[in-house]
Formats: sequence, C-alpha cells, structure tokens
Amino acid sequence: MSAPVLTARAVTKNYRLGKREIPVLRGVDLSIADGERVALLGASGAGKSTLLHVLGLLDAPTSGAVEYDGRVVHDLSVKERALLRHRHTGFVFQFYHLIPELTALQNVLLAQMMGVSMFGYLGRRAALRAQAEELLGQVGLSDRLHHRPAELSGGERQRVAIARALIAQPRVILADEPTGNLDSATATGVVDLMFAVQQQRQLAFLLVTHDERLAQRCDRVVRMFDGKIVGEEAATGAGAAR
Amino acid sequence: MYRLFLAIRYLLTRPINLLGMFGIALSVWALVVVVSLFSGFLAVIESHVQTASADLTVTQLPDWAQWPTLRDGLRDDSNVAALAPRLVHHGLVARPGVRPGPPPLPGRTSLHGGDQPFVFVIGVDAAAESAVTGFGDWLRNPEIPAALRAPAGSDPFAGADDRPRVLIGRQRMERDGLHPGDPVRWTYAISKSNEQGKVETDQREVDLVVAGAFQTAHAGFDGNNMFVREDVLRKALELPEGAVQEIAVRVRDESQLVPTADRLQRIVSRALDRGNQRSYGAVETWRERNAPFLASVEHQRGLLKIVLIVIMVVAAFLMLATLSMMVTEKVADIGILTAMGGTPAGVTQVFLACGLSITVVGVALGLSTGCLTAVYLEEIRQGLRWATGIDLFPLEVYNLIRVPCRIEPLWLLQVAGMALATGFVVSALPALRAARHDPLVSLRGT
Repeated sequence: MSAPVLTARAVTKNYRLGKREIPVLRGVDLSIADGERVALLGASGAGKSTLLHVLGLLDAPTSGAVEYDGRVVHDLSVKERALLRHRHTGFVFQFYHLIPELTALQNVLLAQMMGVSMFGYLGRRAALRAQAEELLGQVGLSDRLHHRPAELSGGERQRVAIARALIAQPRVILADEPTGNLDSATATGVVDLMFAVQQQRQLAFLLVTHDERLAQRCDRVVRMFDGKIVGEEAATGAGAAR
Repeated sequence: MYRLFLAIRYLLTRPINLLGMFGIALSVWALVVVVSLFSGFLAVIESHVQTASADLTVTQLPDWAQWPTLRDGLRDDSNVAALAPRLVHHGLVARPGVRPGPPPLPGRTSLHGGDQPFVFVIGVDAAAESAVTGFGDWLRNPEIPAALRAPAGSDPFAGADDRPRVLIGRQRMERDGLHPGDPVRWTYAISKSNEQGKVETDQREVDLVVAGAFQTAHAGFDGNNMFVREDVLRKALELPEGAVQEIAVRVRDESQLVPTADRLQRIVSRALDRGNQRSYGAVETWRERNAPFLASVEHQRGLLKIVLIVIMVVAAFLMLATLSMMVTEKVADIGILTAMGGTPAGVTQVFLACGLSITVVGVALGLSTGCLTAVYLEEIRQGLRWATGIDLFPLEVYNLIRVPCRIEPLWLLQVAGMALATGFVVSALPALRAARHDPLVSLRGT
C-alpha cells in the first residue's frame, strides 16, 4: 500500500449543547492511502459522519490534526480549505444534494465552474461540457443529460452526484451512506459503479455505512462506537480480495 | 462564474422574484416620468412667468422717489437697454352697482388669479412699457377675440372721450362678461397723515372704461393685474409729478442679470441716499420677484420625489422578502456548494448576484420605459383621451401647447444610483444570512 493521502491524528470533536460540551469524536486516528477503499462502520451516533466532515474539511476538529499528503490542513484559511476540497475531495451524500433548478449536466458543470474564472470557463466551455457529458455517459446517464433532479430516479440522482464528485478529478472520495436512500437493486448498481471508478482512478475512498455486507466489499473495515475507533480489520468480501 | 450562473438559474425558476424587479422598475419609472413632467412644467412656468415680467424691477421705492433722477442714474449702466416707470396700487374692480364677489377664502392666494375681485392696478406709460416688457404683444395676442381687443395703435388707452381707460386680463373679461367700452368701478383705499400726524385711511372710487383685454402666457399675472395710464393712477393716489413706485428694466445681456442687478442696486441706493443710514429701493430679477410662485412648484416637485421614493422603499421591502424566502428555501444548496469548494463569501455572492440582477434589470427597465413614457407623454395623453375620454392633463388650465417634459440626465443618474444602492442593501442582508448558515446542518438533514 502507498503512503497515506488522508490522515486523522488524535482527532476530537465536541459540540456545545447549551452549557454542555458533547464529545462526538474522542481521539480518532485513521489513514487512507491512494487506491485504498475503507469502510467506516458503526451505529447511528457513533461519529462516522462527523469524522467524514472533519476529514473533508467541512468541519474543524476540536483537537488533533487532519493531514493531506502529510501536510496539516485543518488549520488552513477558509479559502485554502475550500480550494483543497474543490481540487482533491469529492463528496457523495445519502440525499444526493443535487441543485433542483439545474439539469444533470448543469449540476456536473457547476462543479467545474467553481474552479475557473468567468473568462476561463467561457474560453473552455466546449471542452468542459464535453468532459461532463462523457462522465455522465460513464455513469450511464447519456440520455438523461437535460433532465432535472425531479425528473430522475433515486439511482439516477446518485449517479449524477457521483459524476459531480468525480468531475474535478479528486484524489479522495468521501461517501456518506450513498446507498442509504436506495432500494437494494439500485444500491448494488450504484456501489458497483463507485467501486469501478475508484479502482480505475485509484482513488482513496472512505465509505460511511451501516451495511455490513457493503463494508465487506472494501479493503478495510473500521468500526466506530461512541466517537472512538473500536476495531479495524481487513475486509473479507469481494473488495478485499481484489 | 458559478455565482452568476446559479443566481440566474435561481431567478429564472422563481417567477416570484420578478415581483421585486417589477417593483423597482415601477418606482424608477414613476420617478423618471413624474419628475420629468414636473421639470418640464417648471421650465414652461418659468418661461411664462418670464414673458410676463421685466428682466429687472426696481421696487420698494419711497413716496418721494423721482423718476427723472432714478432714470438718469440707471440708464448709464451699460447693460440697461430700456426703462419704464410704474405706479402700483390695488383694490376691487367690478361693474358699477354690482357687488364684487367674495374675497379669497383662507388658503387661497392671489396666485390663482382671475377668480377673485382683488387686483393690482398698474399705471404705465404704454410706449415705455412696451420697450421694456412684452406689453405691446400682450395686447396683440392672437388668442384674444376681436371683440375684446384694445384699440390698435400706439396708445391702447385712447378713446372717444377723456374718461380713463383700463386694460383687463382676457379671462377675467370673459368671466365677468366685460367688453371694450363697458364701465367698471375701481374701489381702493389710500392712507394719509392728517395735521396731527395721525394716519387716516380713506376709501375712494374711480370710474373706468374698459379699453380691451391683454393676455400673457402667465394666467396668474393676467388675473391679478390691470393696467391704466400712469397719470390716471398718479391722480387717484394724489402723487406729485415725477413720482414713481416701480421701475421696470430691460437688459441687453440676460446672462449678466445678477451682476447688473447688483450694480443697479448700488445706483438706486446712491440716488436715494438721504444720509440717514437707511437704504431705499430694491432691485429684483424676474426670478426673485416671482420666487414664491416658482418655489411653490419646485416644492411640489420635491414632495412628489419623496412620495415616489417611498414607493421605491416599498419595492425594496418586497425584494427583501422574496430574497429572504429564497435563502430559506436554498439552505440545502448552501451545504453542497460548500462541499464542492464554495466559501461563505462565494455563497454571499450567489445571493447578492440574485438581488443585484433583479435590481439592475429593474432599473434598466424603469429608466428605459420611463424615458420613453416621458418623451411620448403628449401622445399617450391624446391616445388615452381618444380611447377613454379622460384627459389626465388638461393643457388649457396651464396655458400649454403639449404636456411638458424635461428629462434631466443628472436626475436619471441619481435615480439609478439610489435604486442600485437600495437593491444592494436589501440583497446584502439575506446574502449575509445565507453565508452565516452552517452547511453541515443541511448536509446532515433530510
């Protein structure tokens, strides 16, 4: 396995509820390497999503450090963290979080627009659009480019979300229960797609899930309970056998 | 790029945002049209007032002021083209034996003119007055019916007998059914000091014969003034030969009106200096002389501006409400935008771009339609009258040929600036609220 691309070192996270401090993460250490697929398994309230948000620089740790390629990044400026998220991290969420006013193509293009200036975008519009169309084609949505989220099924929406996460060619994908809102047949299709793309691009992949069977398709399974990592093992499923 | 793209998509898919845009457009339109109309109206009124006035008037002269002395001093000024002496008094004019109408009601001023019996009677030398003001043209105004015209020739007060003649405003003559040759009685009062030095007021009457009508472009002037020969008034007021109460002045260069007024003021003060530390006489430009009237129109324009700006504030609140509603609806998008690499500043700019787009389009719509409406106001008035029979702006009341309009570029800039600033403020408030929203709340939500 190569050197870790994303690392959490002794990360804690507390939330304040009135006068009380609620500890959600209690000293978590975790590393994910390029091309590695890690499943984060645990019951509701174990701190899985919070850890994902901290690793994705959407939330700051109360103590500890988040490193990207060995460089401490959690204390960067808001703008630097946003840039890091845009260039290197792709998110896939349970509820897709597509923008309802935009078509599938526009939702993917929006992610590209965020990385360039207006003139930069207008100058490369055709190329960026072709890239987005190709990616949507790869996730099986060539014929749904101009459909809005309301006109797509749950599986199709999640495919658009996956394309959006991949368009900026990130090194890390953080997926928060991406199949939690899908029926099992659709979920299987979505997971197969994600894993295929992950393998093809050799992405570091962190999958938050409740689903033991899904977790076993990863390389490694990390178990969380009450804000702490309580176990870590190599997966036994198809993913681990890769 | 994504900020503007997203802002436009949000706006296009939410027709309710057009409410704010139409509100801004409507208020800008109203501010342009109404103020252009009033500016045009003010310009026309000024022009009418100017045609009924002398360029400069020497006024507030004491009883002992002498025309020859003042004339000799004033005509030496290089910018003075002509001078005319005047005597001015006031009173009630009505047909003999006919009780004059009621005096003006409280709050009504003589500015309305023509609808009250109180008038100023001005004693003039017709030839001198014609050289200074449009006096001759007022008598030859083509709108005066032939039956009401004064005798043609150099002396409009000429008649078959030696009874004193009076020139009356055309509208007053028509209202009172007067014609040339009809008798009228002027009732007035004069104050005199008796032997004990006590001031006594006497009521006097002078029987006059209507010589004919005059008409300026300023109906208020016509309704409030009558002209008689100077010697008639001098006799009525028991003034000595050479007495003068006002001097009308025509200048050669109108652009030098104020400096000329200052110079004439010094000449008058010097000529009337009695060594008693008192200053007699005042020189007023036509604008200063009519300042209360002109200021009243200007004041109305100012009040209307305030009322219309309130409409803009209401439109701004409408925009604030729709944008706030949109921010509340779009909190889920704030989370994903942040996850994709957006910053709070970027989120602010998305919603700011929404508000500013609404404002810019609203201002552009308002300015363009406002200017078009102002330019074609007369055609719109005619079209409306033809279609509905309603005349929104009766021209004859104001003695106008067409609905006046003057578009002032500075005002357009002020309106645009004001609307843009208002739009910026009401866009910034919800945009800042959006930026403060915790993206994790929406990412964790349903």
